[in-house]
Amino acid sequence: MAVFDTPEEAFGALRPVCVQLTKTQTVENVEHLQAQLQAVSDSALQELQQYILFPLRFTLKTPGPKRERLIQSVVECLTFVLSSTCVKEQVLLQELFSEISACLYSPKSQKPAAVSEELKLAVIQGLSTLMHSAYGDILLAFYEPSILPRLGFAVSLLLDLAEQEKSKQIKIAALKCLQVLLFQCDCQDHPRSLDELEQKQLGDLFASFLPGISMALARVITGDFKQGHGIIVSSLKTFYKTVSFIMADEQLERISKVQPKPAVEHRVAELMVHREAKWVKNTSDKLTILIKKIIECVSGHPHWKVRLALIELVEALLLKCSQSLVGSAGPLLKALVGLVNDESPEVQAQCSKVLRHFADQKVVVGNRAFADILSENLHSLATSLPRLMSSQDDQGKFSTLSLLLGYLKLLGPRVNFVLNSVTHLQRLSKALIQVLELDVTDIKVVEERCWNSGPLGASETAATQPRSPMQRRYFRFFTDERLFLLLQQVCQLLGFYGDVYLLIDHFMELYRESVVYRKQAAMILNELVAGAAGLEVENLHENHIKTSTEELREIVTSILEEYTSQENWYLTTCIESEEVGEELTMKQSGLQAITSGAHTCQVTSFPAFSKPSPTICSMNSNIWQICIQLEGIGRFAYALGKDFRLLLMTALYPVLEKAGDQTLLISQAATSAMMDICHTCGYYSLQHLINQNSDYLVNGISLNLRHLSLHPHTPKVLEVMLWNSDASLLPLVADVVQDVLATLDQFYDKRAASFVGVLHALLAALAQWFPDTDDLRQLQGESAGEAGSHLSQRPAASEKGLENTTTAEDMELFLLNYLKEKDVADGNVSDFDNEEEEQSDPPKVDESDTGPDVEPPLPVQIQIATDVMERCIHMLSDKNLKIRLKVLDVLNLCVVVLQSHKNQLLPLAHRAWPPLVHRLTNDDPLVVLRAFKVLRTLGGKCGDFLRSRFCKDILPKLAGSLVTQAPVSARAGPVYSHTLAFKLQLAVLQGLGPLCERLDLGDSDLNKVADACLIYLSAKQPMKLQEAARS
Amino acid sequence: MEKMTAPPPNMAASPLPPPDPCFVLRGAQSAVHALHFFGGAQGQVHPLLLSGSLSGLVHIWSLQTRRAVATLDGHGGQCVTWLQTLPQGRQLLSQGRDLKLCLWDLAEGRNTVVDSVPLESMGFCRSSILAGGQERWMLAMPGRGNDEVQILEMPSKTSVCTLKPEADAKPGMPMCLELWQADSSPRPLLLAGYEDGSVALWDVSERKVCSRVACHTEPVMGFDFDSQKARGVSGSAEKALAVWSLDEQQALQVCRTHELTNPGIADVKIRPDRKILATAGWDHRVRVFHWRTMKPLAVLSFHSATIHCVAFATDGLLAAGSGDQRISIWSLYPISTDSSTPLLGHTEGGEVGAHASA
Repeated sequence: MAVFDTPEEAFGALRPVCVQLTKTQTVENVEHLQAQLQAVSDSALQELQQYILFPLRFTLKTPGPKRERLIQSVVECLTFVLSSTCVKEQVLLQELFSEISACLYSPKSQKPAAVSEELKLAVIQGLSTLMHSAYGDILLAFYEPSILPRLGFAVSLLLDLAEQEKSKQIKIAALKCLQVLLFQCDCQDHPRSLDELEQKQLGDLFASFLPGISMALARVITGDFKQGHGIIVSSLKTFYKTVSFIMADEQLERISKVQPKPAVEHRVAELMVHREAKWVKNTSDKLTILIKKIIECVSGHPHWKVRLALIELVEALLLKCSQSLVGSAGPLLKALVGLVNDESPEVQAQCSKVLRHFADQKVVVGNRAFADILSENLHSLATSLPRLMSSQDDQGKFSTLSLLLGYLKLLGPRVNFVLNSVTHLQRLSKALIQVLELDVTDIKVVEERCWNSGPLGASETAATQPRSPMQRRYFRFFTDERLFLLLQQVCQLLGFYGDVYLLIDHFMELYRESVVYRKQAAMILNELVAGAAGLEVENLHENHIKTSTEELREIVTSILEEYTSQENWYLTTCIESEEVGEELTMKQSGLQAITSGAHTCQVTSFPAFSKPSPTICSMNSNIWQICIQLEGIGRFAYALGKDFRLLLMTALYPVLEKAGDQTLLISQAATSAMMDICHTCGYYSLQHLINQNSDYLVNGISLNLRHLSLHPHTPKVLEVMLWNSDASLLPLVADVVQDVLATLDQFYDKRAASFVGVLHALLAALAQWFPDTDDLRQLQGESAGEAGSHLSQRPAASEKGLENTTTAEDMELFLLNYLKEKDVADGNVSDFDNEEEEQSDPPKVDESDTGPDVEPPLPVQIQIATDVMERCIHMLSDKNLKIRLKVLDVLNLCVVVLQSHKNQLLPLAHRAWPPLVHRLTNDDPLVVLRAFKVLRTLGGKCGDFLRSRFCKDILPKLAGSLVTQAPVSARAGPVYSHTLAFKLQLAVLQGLGPLCERLDLGDSDLNKVADACLIYLSAKQPMKLQEAARS
Repeated sequence: MEKMTAPPPNMAASPLPPPDPCFVLRGAQSAVHALHFFGGAQGQVHPLLLSGSLSGLVHIWSLQTRRAVATLDGHGGQCVTWLQTLPQGRQLLSQGRDLKLCLWDLAEGRNTVVDSVPLESMGFCRSSILAGGQERWMLAMPGRGNDEVQILEMPSKTSVCTLKPEADAKPGMPMCLELWQADSSPRPLLLAGYEDGSVALWDVSERKVCSRVACHTEPVMGFDFDSQKARGVSGSAEKALAVWSLDEQQALQVCRTHELTNPGIADVKIRPDRKILATAGWDHRVRVFHWRTMKPLAVLSFHSATIHCVAFATDGLLAAGSGDQRISIWSLYPISTDSSTPLLGHTEGGEVGAHASA
């Protein structure tokens, strides 16, 4: 089809069609015209606008019933023309406006005519296009008072459509059109922005419609949820645009007291509204009701776009109508604040943006009225918070707390007005404490143990992680994890904006007041400090001054002092077996250890914990308290950063103490607290942390050792420290070991178990720090496993098969040696009671450094090992089975460390021999097993020295027991391989071979060994024993 | 002193534990023979503690971090016996048994020897200085002769005089010195404790002994003098403390002696507020007394070897250095800003938990 660029051409083409239409008004003709119009250029169309419009308007104006279809197509055609042209005459605009809107006029009722949806849509679009096509000046002139009735008709028409129609499309179109009519269209090609005077004129005009518009829109908004979010969103938009235009503070300021004489006829003038103060007040009251309704309905709307629109509404109204709508400010702010923690990130972001914008503009802080309203809201929220927290479900709590959080964010430093009121602070804290109550019924918390006493679990790489995750807690009053996060944020904000001293004091008081509050108060304190340091808090208030580091350090120091004080740090978390050491040997059952007698001493030493016997719940609670406090220390470290280093001298010791705790949860919490410290204080790893601060630790250890009854866990700390440090620590360790040994001598009977643990750690550390070349292998082999290690280590020996390879010379040599040494050994070893003599020996510790002229001083580690071995000899015959076992381990390590210093080792070995023999021959099988291990080590390190003693004291019994056990094991079933007796047989059979070799035994003894072993080669014996016997 | 040897039974049952050190400084790595607090100057909140060790090193400890911040090595491995800072500038004097007095410059993190004075006595005698705010100051140190004390004007190192006792006195070697100046007169005075157990007051300008009194039968190991009360206290190798006073005629007289449980006091120091005094005992213990009444207040046991020296900081902190290579820091009877508070008022209740044991 040709395009008609010039009006002449176009006229030629259009004329017949227009004439045709004027004559016979049919749909076909209209469509024909529209088809022709497609081919006309915009400029040509503009020229011919009046001409083309004429038949169309004529069609509309022709009296008599018309078919809807025709009207629709006419309106569509009109719309098309208008969309490509401009309306340049005011009269035309007015007429068109009336004509188009009249299409939906039904004389019978107020409602729009019952016409087809297509027609309605066409009319709406037509109106919209008309308003857009009008020239700016003309359009402004259009909005004069005299148009009021016609405009009013259109507005109510559109409102009706928006409210009553079923079709979404129509509703939305109607709402859009309404915006256009009210000059609030947000499309691009709309006329320039209005100056103040124009705004005021329009406002005056539109004010008449405000009640109708606002009420109708409110009805739409609060209507059915199912009507779709699009409608609500655009209703909300229309609502706030209209309201914020008409009620804008800027305009209202200019309204004169006296209504100017309207230059219009009386009938219209009645419709006009004068927006003076009284009107504003009335309207605002009514609007407040509507706004409240809207907010109530919309703030919980499931669709995020609706909530987003609500934020826009709040923003617009608060920014533009803060004075006129002051009564609504409360609900509006509440709505905004409630959305701060919305699920949808978009809403959240927008909300924060708006809040930030408000803060920047000082909308709230700069405006007394607003701040008062907010404080008021916060006041009332604080008042009702305890009730809400106890009555609401998780979702309810969530929104309540979100609201609280939002208020805090918005109020910023003004929070203090509320906090300074004692009752409100109490209310607030009561609610927080109440909701944070932990569930302490879980028995697993108490049960879970960590038994490993090795280096702390966390690896070095963990130190690079920014923040260790928190332990999962279970609260009594909620299960939703998000609630806890919210509560954290609330506390942090309080700490950030509030008066830290006031808050800390208050919660410290609660902390001290009752066990019931203690855990919650500690949690809150932790967050307060984190908040005060500005961690994880986004500051909306630029001029807010943060708490200074110096102040913060003071605060943290005082909290730390409280946390780690005797009554808050040393709580009963488990039924300690150590206290009942003596009973335990008899009963050996962990459960029976729960006797009331065992705890009397504990209760007296922890007066704060007044219950006579700790229940599972109270222990669980104690565990949590310690964990929270530990976590707090980690948080404090974050809060202070590098400054925390100065507090390490007091904080590290207690944390390390808990790292060695038996309860899994506590030791985990302590480890993660240490990780936090590492991270903030710039240590690469826990080892680094402990190494660098070992002087502080040693200080604590040595001072606490002086009061062991008050600090029973001190040895544990040393143990943990030893496991996690390196040889550079030796001078310090040497220093403190003297204290340890002195204390051990003092409390030898009561607390031997914990000290043996330390000694074990110490010797293990020494053995590791100062390895002998061939010794390393040995140590690894031993720690790798009890059994079988020698099989793998000595493949050569096992390949040789039976040990019958001894030569005659060997035998002879042995016999000679044997005879020679027999007498000596007799004299030396017969007396088992000489332990008592040795106990009265003064320890050699002090003398060793006084005689420098005797020998070059021994290396420190050797000195330590000697001292320790000395103690071990005494403790070998301890009544407690566990201690005996542990002591044997320590002894083993002593021998390893001392192996290269025979001058020290041999005399000690000599003294250790009698009790060791006793262990090997007359003790619990477990002990025998362990003692045999020591024997093997000892045999390996000082072979010759032991030979005759071994043959005389031990070999007969060992061989004898092997022989007597042989029939038992031969007959036994498969279960036998799990018995202790079997393990013992196995160990002896495995160990005997290498031992004999190292000791270089004589043939007669070897024969004894061989005899005993031979039985085990019988096919009836269990396989493993056979294999072992072959070696 | 009978009371001290046998602790009353109610004392042992007292709920208050015996006092512990606030903290312990480790790392001197040899016996500690000299201590000196140095602090507050130049806006430093936390004072420093200087310690001199048997191995000739001077450690500078920060009392804030409780760690050595620097080590000065200037005495060739010989024991450092005396440390003193000068009031002006950050300068330190250290006396070592390598027969040298070193003057260190510690300002701005420097630690260099700027000057040294040769010593001519191998004795154990610690020197003393008299320094006001001026540029010039006076140094008293053991002289060349066995029983001489030499006075130098510093920093020029010009000898002012040598104080030699009269021929018939035979007091033996000087063991400890203290230069001071009475408020009333500008004449410098010197107190010296001698090997024979006597304490003598010298008028430095007239080079004569004003007064001399026999306080002990054994050598005087250490003394301290309270110039306001004109009273001093001295300890010796024997089992007693002697309190002596100086009257207007500048005559010394022994006021009283105080029996101890164990012999041997290596050092005596009166706290700057003149309320209490502390002694360094060969019995590994620090004893604390009320200065006015000489009532025993506490026996501080922590060390496992002879205590060689004690020192007080201006804020009342007490440090004790021992042969076990540790320095213990104690905070006792904090100095109250209200000086009228009677000290004994709360010691009666056993606030420190005075524990006395043999």
